[in-house]
Amino acid sequence: MLGCQDFCGHYDWTFHYIRRRFGHDAVLKLWEEAIANDSQSHYIKAGGERGLRGLYNTWVKTGEEERCDWTFTLDEQKNILRMDMRKCPSKGFLLDNDRNADEDYCDHCIGWIGPALESVGGEVVSHEHNHCGQCWWEMRMKDAPHEPLDLDIDIRKDPRWGRGYVESWRSNAKLPLLEKSGSADPCQVLIDWFARFDHLAVLGRGPSATDSWAVRQRRDAVLVTDPTYTTHDVFAGEPVGVLIGDRPISLERVAERFNATEPDRRPLLMHMYLPGNPMIDFVSVGLPRPVPILPLLIRAGLYSHRPGKPYPTTGTFLLMLAVVLQKDVAVAGIDFYRHPSGSLYNDQSAPTQDFCWPDWHALDCDRFHIRSALDKATAPVAVHPFLAEMLD
Amino acid sequence: MSAPDFYFAINAIARHIHDEYGKDVLVDYWQKLGLEYYRERSARWAEGGASVLAEDWRAYFLNEPNARVEVRVEAETVVLNISVCPAIKHMRDCNREIVDCFCEHCDHTCGAMASAAGYRFERFGGMGSCEQRFVPVTHEAKGVG
Repeated sequence: MLGCQDFCGHYDWTFHYIRRRFGHDAVLKLWEEAIANDSQSHYIKAGGERGLRGLYNTWVKTGEEERCDWTFTLDEQKNILRMDMRKCPSKGFLLDNDRNADEDYCDHCIGWIGPALESVGGEVVSHEHNHCGQCWWEMRMKDAPHEPLDLDIDIRKDPRWGRGYVESWRSNAKLPLLEKSGSADPCQVLIDWFARFDHLAVLGRGPSATDSWAVRQRRDAVLVTDPTYTTHDVFAGEPVGVLIGDRPISLERVAERFNATEPDRRPLLMHMYLPGNPMIDFVSVGLPRPVPILPLLIRAGLYSHRPGKPYPTTGTFLLMLAVVLQKDVAVAGIDFYRHPSGSLYNDQSAPTQDFCWPDWHALDCDRFHIRSALDKATAPVAVHPFLAEMLD
Repeated sequence: MSAPDFYFAINAIARHIHDEYGKDVLVDYWQKLGLEYYRERSARWAEGGASVLAEDWRAYFLNEPNARVEVRVEAETVVLNISVCPAIKHMRDCNREIVDCFCEHCDHTCGAMASAAGYRFERFGGMGSCEQRFVPVTHEAKGVG
């Protein structure tokens, strides 16, 4: 049977199924018709009968059943119902169980709460979530003025709020993810950022990134990983994009270089936000929250997260991203830690003979994802001869 | 997190897919759910055999509120005697309209999981109580013997 104990897992998978077969609007329709109007009809009934008080009572009951670590605050004088979620059990299930089937699981809440409130004459005034289990909401009835609350338990005052990437809504409308991009869709933000380039050079950290083949490639639009950004090991110029890996070596040094760079020359910071890994607090080191890349890779059919299984190395993720962006791509420095020089990286400090793949990566995994990306590429991809040989 | 109101959503999603896209899509959805989402469980069944499959369902139903299920192994067949289906019970208790084909999700999701693990799925009864059987598929039955 389909149980309720792992419901959040198959719920996430269901969104992905509907999205890939019928598109984004079909997912919105599922949330409105199946979840708001049918599954959660008791909220609509309660809100219709008693307004914010009815919604408050229903949410409190749900919170007890689902053991939610949240606070609902109702101020009827100010016409405001506020929720501060400290640890979402629903998103928490996915994070704890290494699940990430759909592009953005957290969107399902606004997907049903927004229409449900509309149907009872209310609206979501403001909402933000950080994709790490923290979120906040302000809701009101539309027939009266409202006044925001200033609370000590505002989740934005909690250190956990600094993790993840934040998406925001005002009056039921999703706001742009970045100031520079007009799009609220993280996938479109990536497409827009790189729209000015018709080619991209992807540089991993392997020795092949600096050999004669690699330096012959155009290097005016370069993508690197965070260690290269901080050490200049294979590229000393200004990259246009930096993918911060799942285990960054020094976020402080990333922040130092990033913040010392003129705003117009700063790269786009990106991150995978893989569910099974501890979520990183970028804000506390002075970095903007990186743009997520998994939604675009999932949408393009290039990545399916497998719980508990190895996932690609950061350099391989970077190659997948460049291919999905449909640019002419040149890739070097992805040597699978087997470069004939005997070094893992551009310096001599790490010999390949001592290297073992960690549990979370695997040679077959990287090969599979690179081959898949190359198969699906719609623009030319120039692969370093050593990598090409390793893929055969 | 075993909140029984999630059964409402399972039921509502089935109704939505059925009404919006038709029965064929609903069946495909349930089957793919078994094959893709539950891939790891099927793999464990395939590797561990009937005892692992049986223990998996025992543990699963322990976390479904108000379920009354007896699991036993007869030869290599795993039998689930579900005297109280927790989903049907909760939806009835809450006066929810249950989709006519609700019980078929077990046929298609568990059927896909069973098939991936080398078993055939059978169900007798439904709408509150049923018997489910995971029968090993022999080489002869597969047509490869």
